[in-house]
Amino acid sequence: MSTGLRDWMRRGNGLVWLSAGVLAFAVLMIGGLVGLIAARGLGFFWPAPLVLFETPAGPVLGEVADREPARGGEPGRIQLRVGNRDLFGQDFRWYPESELRNPTLPEDALMVERSEYGVFLGRVKELRKDGLTVSTGPAALDEALERLPGARKAQAGIRAVEKGEVGRLNTALEAIRLERKALERRPDPARQPQLDAREAELRSRYADLEGRLDHLRAEAKRLTVLLEAWDGQVKEMPLPQVVRLVPSNRLGLPGKLKVYASRLWEFVSDDPRESNTEGGIFPAIFGTVMMVLLMSALGVPLGVLAALYLREYARDGWLVRAIRVAVNNLAGVPSIVFGVFGLGFFVYTLGGSLDRLFFPERLPTPTFGTGGILWASLTLALLTVPVVIVATEEALAAVPRFQREASMALGATKWQTLWNIVLPGAMPGILTGLILAMARGAGEVAPLMLTGVVKLAPSMPLDGTFPFLHLDRKFMHLGFHIYDVGFQSPNSEAAKPMVFMTTLLLLAVVVALNLAAIRIRRRLRARLGGSTF
Amino acid sequence: MSDPNRILRRAKRVDRLMGAVIRVGGLTIIAAVIGILLFIGKEALPLFLPPRVAPVAPGVLPPPQAIHLDESGKALFAWDLRRGLGAYTLPGPAARELPPGPPLPWTRVLPPDARGTALVLAADGKFYSVRPSWDKPAGENDPGQWKAEAAWSPALDPGPQPCEPLAFRKVPGSGLGGGDTLRLAGRRNGVLAWTEAPAEASGPLAWTPLPLPGAEAQAASWSADASQLFVGTSTGRLLVFDPPSGQLLREAAFSQPVSALGWVLGGTSLLVGGRGGALEAFQQVRVGDAVVLQSLRAFPPLQGEVLGLAASQRDKRFLSWSAESLAVDHLTTGRRLLSAPAQGLQGAALSPRGDLILGATAQGQLRGWTLEAPHPEVSWGTLWRPTRYEGYAEPQRTWQSTGGTDDFEPKLSLLPLLFGTLKGTFYALLFALPVAIFGALYTSQFAHPALRNLIKPTVEVMAALPSVVLGFLAGLVLAPMFERSMVQFVIVPPVALSLALLAMPLWARLPRAFRKLFGEGREALWMVPLLLGAFGAAMALAPWIERALLGGEYRLWLQSHGIPYDQRNSIVVGFAMGFAVIPIIFTISEDALSSVPRSLSSASLACGASPWQTAWRVVLPTASPGIFSAAMVGLGRAVGETMIVLMATGNTPVMEWNPFNGMRTLAANIAVEVPEAPQHGSLYRVLFLTALLLFLLTFVLNSAAELIRQRLRKRYEAL
Repeated sequence: MSTGLRDWMRRGNGLVWLSAGVLAFAVLMIGGLVGLIAARGLGFFWPAPLVLFETPAGPVLGEVADREPARGGEPGRIQLRVGNRDLFGQDFRWYPESELRNPTLPEDALMVERSEYGVFLGRVKELRKDGLTVSTGPAALDEALERLPGARKAQAGIRAVEKGEVGRLNTALEAIRLERKALERRPDPARQPQLDAREAELRSRYADLEGRLDHLRAEAKRLTVLLEAWDGQVKEMPLPQVVRLVPSNRLGLPGKLKVYASRLWEFVSDDPRESNTEGGIFPAIFGTVMMVLLMSALGVPLGVLAALYLREYARDGWLVRAIRVAVNNLAGVPSIVFGVFGLGFFVYTLGGSLDRLFFPERLPTPTFGTGGILWASLTLALLTVPVVIVATEEALAAVPRFQREASMALGATKWQTLWNIVLPGAMPGILTGLILAMARGAGEVAPLMLTGVVKLAPSMPLDGTFPFLHLDRKFMHLGFHIYDVGFQSPNSEAAKPMVFMTTLLLLAVVVALNLAAIRIRRRLRARLGGSTF
Repeated sequence: MSDPNRILRRAKRVDRLMGAVIRVGGLTIIAAVIGILLFIGKEALPLFLPPRVAPVAPGVLPPPQAIHLDESGKALFAWDLRRGLGAYTLPGPAARELPPGPPLPWTRVLPPDARGTALVLAADGKFYSVRPSWDKPAGENDPGQWKAEAAWSPALDPGPQPCEPLAFRKVPGSGLGGGDTLRLAGRRNGVLAWTEAPAEASGPLAWTPLPLPGAEAQAASWSADASQLFVGTSTGRLLVFDPPSGQLLREAAFSQPVSALGWVLGGTSLLVGGRGGALEAFQQVRVGDAVVLQSLRAFPPLQGEVLGLAASQRDKRFLSWSAESLAVDHLTTGRRLLSAPAQGLQGAALSPRGDLILGATAQGQLRGWTLEAPHPEVSWGTLWRPTRYEGYAEPQRTWQSTGGTDDFEPKLSLLPLLFGTLKGTFYALLFALPVAIFGALYTSQFAHPALRNLIKPTVEVMAALPSVVLGFLAGLVLAPMFERSMVQFVIVPPVALSLALLAMPLWARLPRAFRKLFGEGREALWMVPLLLGAFGAAMALAPWIERALLGGEYRLWLQSHGIPYDQRNSIVVGFAMGFAVIPIIFTISEDALSSVPRSLSSASLACGASPWQTAWRVVLPTASPGIFSAAMVGLGRAVGETMIVLMATGNTPVMEWNPFNGMRTLAANIAVEVPEAPQHGSLYRVLFLTALLLFLLTFVLNSAAELIRQRLRKRYEAL
């Protein structure tokens, strides 16, 4: 060993390098994780080639989903997404590498995204109207592609009626049922016949609507496609049940981009299908945003008030210092503890009392006495209030003393000084607190699981029926969606890419919020100087 | 222009108003914070409250031999040797009409079992069984509207020899043609005998004697399915017979002559009462290959001979009484919920819910107690110490809150959960502490400012990763990856280290100018390709190592060493949770390290120490309290982490340090169990207790950390 090296080592440079290595490792891991999520999530929507293999058991058409290299004595394996759950039982299948031979990319291979039973891989055999063949083979595919948008539109129309008018009628009928129940308690002979008449009218309208819907549904079923899997099994289905036809192998780049965009749009704007493993996650996005907004509206003003009190009004003594430490530490209390509190206090105690006082006719079905978006938001507001308090206090403390003194010297009252001088100066800091609170709230799942999040909410917390904002409703949430689809789903293999995409979305929201907070804080610090440790 | 005075007054008014609003608002939010702690404590507290007992005096009855309380606690049946079966509603007691029963006077009454089925030996020398019931019109709560019903069985002829019945059990639908069968045990001329007959038997019963040398049977009881007969003798022995074969299966010794036998809900634990008042529970358990009858738990004795035993139909509490006293105990905890003196007691009953106890004296005086003990199965002992449960030969530390049957005994020991929490935290910190602290040391002391400006936001992004994302990655990506290539991941650090050791001499030989320009402060960048290289090398080496050292497949190798492998194991959790706490520890440590006054490190460098020596010997010791506090905050976070543990482990409450299997933590347990915990039930309150525990634990950790940091800040100011 040369003296140079020995000296270099003795001075501890080797250890510097090692600690650098540890840091590099941590940073690499973050990069790796985010990269992995992005790659797996974003790649999912790209139309992959449909490969036809020959196997000893016959031809198999599928997308290559995963590969495992040969290891030890085990041969390598290939996972194919073969689809056709209704025919084959499983969407994904593992094959030994040696069994898959002669891969080809048939031009007419087709991926059919359906509203039920997942995807179908195969080709279009015929297009039929009222059971009579309209066209066959490649011509049938072209015609199906052409007619699909119209069929989808008709289908959307049916759904709109089902959701809108039928939903409204149901709400009205439910209101009548509840009023009848309330009447049992306080009888009112004059009201009874009115209710009867109204119910009869609603029921007849309901019957009309049902008739119209039946007609529409029958109309929609007239056009059918006959699909053929590569093993010869055929399946006939109404065209409106097809969500998308993707002839991946004959699509060029623009076509693929179009499919990608359409899938991405469906993902962010549509309702989930097939127990959340397909379709979109719009209700989860909406629920998350709604919950975070409610949480901020409930928590931030209170947090700012508390910080103002602590910093500007309370006399600085051991009590205030103790409270400050307590508030700081509250940020470190596990979120599940807040969840338990929310469940016990908000849901059972507060909600239960509200139900007994205001909705006795609905009991034993709870209205507020069960998890809902209001309770979830309140719980998260409590959880994030320390973040707001700490950030606001920091910001208030950073407003220079001479500014306040100047304002007071000019005769302004304390409130005028606060409102006109201190708060504007502290605004970026408060904003940072708000953003950090929102980021934390958006990412929390554990407390929500106890206070009102569900895997599939039948209706949104905000909609067109009176009173528009339904604080008692349960909601969907991106974070819970990840947990639920990834871990509770019966078909988690098929749902995995969806979960990656949802994760990416949640991550993007949270990271963007945090980066915004970091930037604002940095600008603020640059302006005011000083450290906060 | 308005009057300046008015403006001034208005300004002052607004000032006062806003001052009040801020004070009230501020204090409210602070009160809310304290309220959280209080509320959680309040929800958990009833677990440890002593049972509430209140005496009631329901009145006088014709002195009954045995009584049975209705589920509502508002009505009872009384068996009286001279007057037969009587029905009474409370308060009163008001006698209600019943169809006449077998001829009076009766010679003997076998006290009613849990369902209220009793057997009488009537004046005609024959047996009659009856299960009286109340006919309650739907939803009717007023016992005044109820009708008493009693359907007596046909007479059973015991045969020419008189027989004193000891035990009786109806086995539904087991006979030929699906009819009920009866199993009876009794004493004929002092000899124990048993018989089996269809419920509608007409001829005399055929008795089979059971050998019982040197002792007389004092009490007997059938097991729930009537397949085994339990007998207590005058010599203090307990015997288990298989009557069809006449075989004595097992026996055990009791301290006194046996006077009463009974069952706790579920039919697993046999209660034995002695002539001297001793009270003990026995059970049959498998020890090794043999099934033995062993004592489960002894209870404080009663005064005087134990006359009878009755069990609740809701939980494992039971009533025992003698002529002088009466007690309600809980089997699992051994807690005595109620103990009352009762002179001249003859018959007693526990309501099926276990909340009302009635005793009848020989004079017909009814005495009653209401017992409010909502959580008898939970005690400090069952939560924290190994506990004997039914069906286990040894004390257990088990968390098992729900079971398949109604008579399931919840096992709510917090030990496995606490253990799981510690285990998860241990593996997480094992990974996180070195990475975070060395990373912070490097960032604060050696990294180029430009690099530092890159690292710090990256770490903040890392801090922002929602735990559900980490949990998902750990459970669905890392866990299978680890399972496939555990060896590879294990050898990455040593491979990286050896690569670094190989690279260092090369680097040291490079011209000093080059090293200065591209090396100093940028070491982390150079380490990136090295790490990637190490990863690749590990991937290439792993199969070779696995073949050479571990016999080709590491899981089989682990199994052959008695280590089971779960896919979602502690290593996965430790890694993911470590990832979650690294940013916190890093940020606080980095703050502490970089606020060490420059004068200290400058002095050290000026004395000729190398940068590393300065960092290691001067900066690190000075900042060590800050780093310690960082570790505590990290610990607090790891202890309370829910989603990662929930998703990345199997959530099985096992107590093993094996890194290749999972665990269940306090926090994850709450998330798993709360949906199945009815409000204000025992499980619900225990979960609140664990929440309180988590709250206090993290609060103490964080407060201590905060205190240390404040001290440190003062010390820096002094320097």
